[in-house]
Amino acid sequence: MDTTKTRSTGKEVWRRLTWTWSPAGSREAGDSVVRNFILHWFPAKVSLPSLSYGYSFWLGTVSAVLFLILSLTGMILMFLYVPSVERAYQSVKDIEFVVSFGWFLRGLHRIAAHLMVAVVFLHMVRVFLTAAYRNGAGANQARPLNWIIGVTLLLATFLLSFTGYLLPWDQLAFWAITVGTNIASAAPLVGEKIRFLLLGGNTIDQNALLRFYVLHCFFLPVLVLFLFCWHMWRVRKDGGLACVDHLALSQKKEPAAPVKAKTYSLLGLARGRTVHVETALVDEDRYTVDSSPNLTRRLLVATLATMLVCSLLTIAVPTPLEEAANPKVTPNPAKAPWYFLWLQELVTITTVQLGDFTINGALIGGILVPGILVALACAWPFLDRSSPAAVGVWLARERRRQNLVFLIIVAAVVILTIVGTFMRGPYWKFFWPWQAWPDVPVHF
Amino acid sequence: MKSMRLFRKREEGVASRGAQGPATGQTRRSWLDRTGLAALALSITGIGSAFVRSLFPNVLYEPAQRFKAGLPEQFSEGATFLEDQRVYVFREQKTFYCISAVCTHLGCTVKMVNLNQPKTVTIGGRQVQERREFHCPCHGSRYYSDGTNYSGPAPTPLAWHKLEIAPDDGSLIVDLSTKVGRDFRLTV
Repeated sequence: MDTTKTRSTGKEVWRRLTWTWSPAGSREAGDSVVRNFILHWFPAKVSLPSLSYGYSFWLGTVSAVLFLILSLTGMILMFLYVPSVERAYQSVKDIEFVVSFGWFLRGLHRIAAHLMVAVVFLHMVRVFLTAAYRNGAGANQARPLNWIIGVTLLLATFLLSFTGYLLPWDQLAFWAITVGTNIASAAPLVGEKIRFLLLGGNTIDQNALLRFYVLHCFFLPVLVLFLFCWHMWRVRKDGGLACVDHLALSQKKEPAAPVKAKTYSLLGLARGRTVHVETALVDEDRYTVDSSPNLTRRLLVATLATMLVCSLLTIAVPTPLEEAANPKVTPNPAKAPWYFLWLQELVTITTVQLGDFTINGALIGGILVPGILVALACAWPFLDRSSPAAVGVWLARERRRQNLVFLIIVAAVVILTIVGTFMRGPYWKFFWPWQAWPDVPVHF
Repeated sequence: MKSMRLFRKREEGVASRGAQGPATGQTRRSWLDRTGLAALALSITGIGSAFVRSLFPNVLYEPAQRFKAGLPEQFSEGATFLEDQRVYVFREQKTFYCISAVCTHLGCTVKMVNLNQPKTVTIGGRQVQERREFHCPCHGSRYYSDGTNYSGPAPTPLAWHKLEIAPDDGSLIVDLSTKVGRDFRLTV
């Protein structure tokens, strides 16, 4: 056997497998973006600021990787889990204690879900504080729309978590769903109907479990996938990250170098110049690099880091499973997962007495306040009157007041979450974290 | 809608070529376009509402709202908690009444707490000596022994349910679908 020939064949196979992400030169890098199915998401060239870890913290990418981990682990869990009231709890116990690496699968799914809520939220905070929801220098931008898509993705993430933690059919699941669907029923006029539709009846039983299972495994992931695609497509159409607009704006102040006549067309199919090129009025050679391998390498680093953190946390943090669901016994205290405890605090403190008339905290804290917050978030890009110079800049001076208002709202949510997590004991009474809880009987 | 504009462009083209388009721009083709789109929208709405309707069950395999709780003499003096149905049945010698254990805030099961020392409270202008209360573990709502909410987020008092005696075997019937006033007593 000719070893030189074998080696060169091996090299050729390796080259064919990898050439799109280790291109020999700029020409091949640009070509790879056009010809490769995965790389065609990206622009041929990417500006240096948008590659920075410090600007975006890559939180959007991390959210996407977490969603990928959740989809993969979720698909395997679907083979192992039985969505039946009689067997759900037992099947989760089997996954935890009998199935090979089942504990890791379930733990990874749970950790990735918790992290996804946190990371998507932090991503929103980043976008707000950098005014990245605003249109900057590019043509045909619709960043406010993309911000609204993002807010919807955050809500979908919450719903995925909510429907997911019902599935083990343990005490946490049962009482969370009791509280959650009763919040829905507090909505005026249609509330009771919505609760009936969600549960498929009046009591939390098989119908409810099946509905939440289908929502969790099909409808919501498909919704997130669709919104994610739309979100990414809009990022491309809006000319990439907002920091590129800032770069383009600051460029104009420099001694005018002639703008290059060269344009990139989308596979030669789209007429005119792409929006990315429209916005990148920057000196390409000084401020941009080839997407492949510069962007792809960082993407892989972000993916690896996310997987590493998730795996380590899965090993370090045990995945709890409470007692099997028991409609006869409400745990004391009955707490939702940490990301809903601010809502649980809100529904507790917002019952209002107006003479003989009482408004349930479920309506104010569970529906009105979150509804107003979501509406405010969606409307904010249209109320923001700051100049394009503030787009893509962390904590811009001219946006100081609105950043402060936003951070106060974020701080309120965080504080309520901390109070709910660490300072609420039996009967939802306030206890300092170092105070011991009194013994209370579990049963009547 | 972009697709609508696409249609319009074509029909303008037809109109400019001198087809039967009157001055308003209305043509047979545009009428057919609109009728077709309306039919499509109507059928999607119709089929969609049928899908949604199918998710509202017509038959519920749930526990009965009206059930026999046992013979009256089997109930001990004071409170008995029927945990499956989440109600407290109270017996005061020959009279019975029934209070729901479902918190009116968000539906958790309230627990009955016997007070170490009786306390005097005013309920509806009357001075009453209380020996027990209901506390909700979920959000800390509190109720007096007759179900009147006095603290925490609960917006209304606990529900009182109707009690009856079964004509066939004399059992106590609890009717969860019928609410009664707080003066309701069943004397056996």
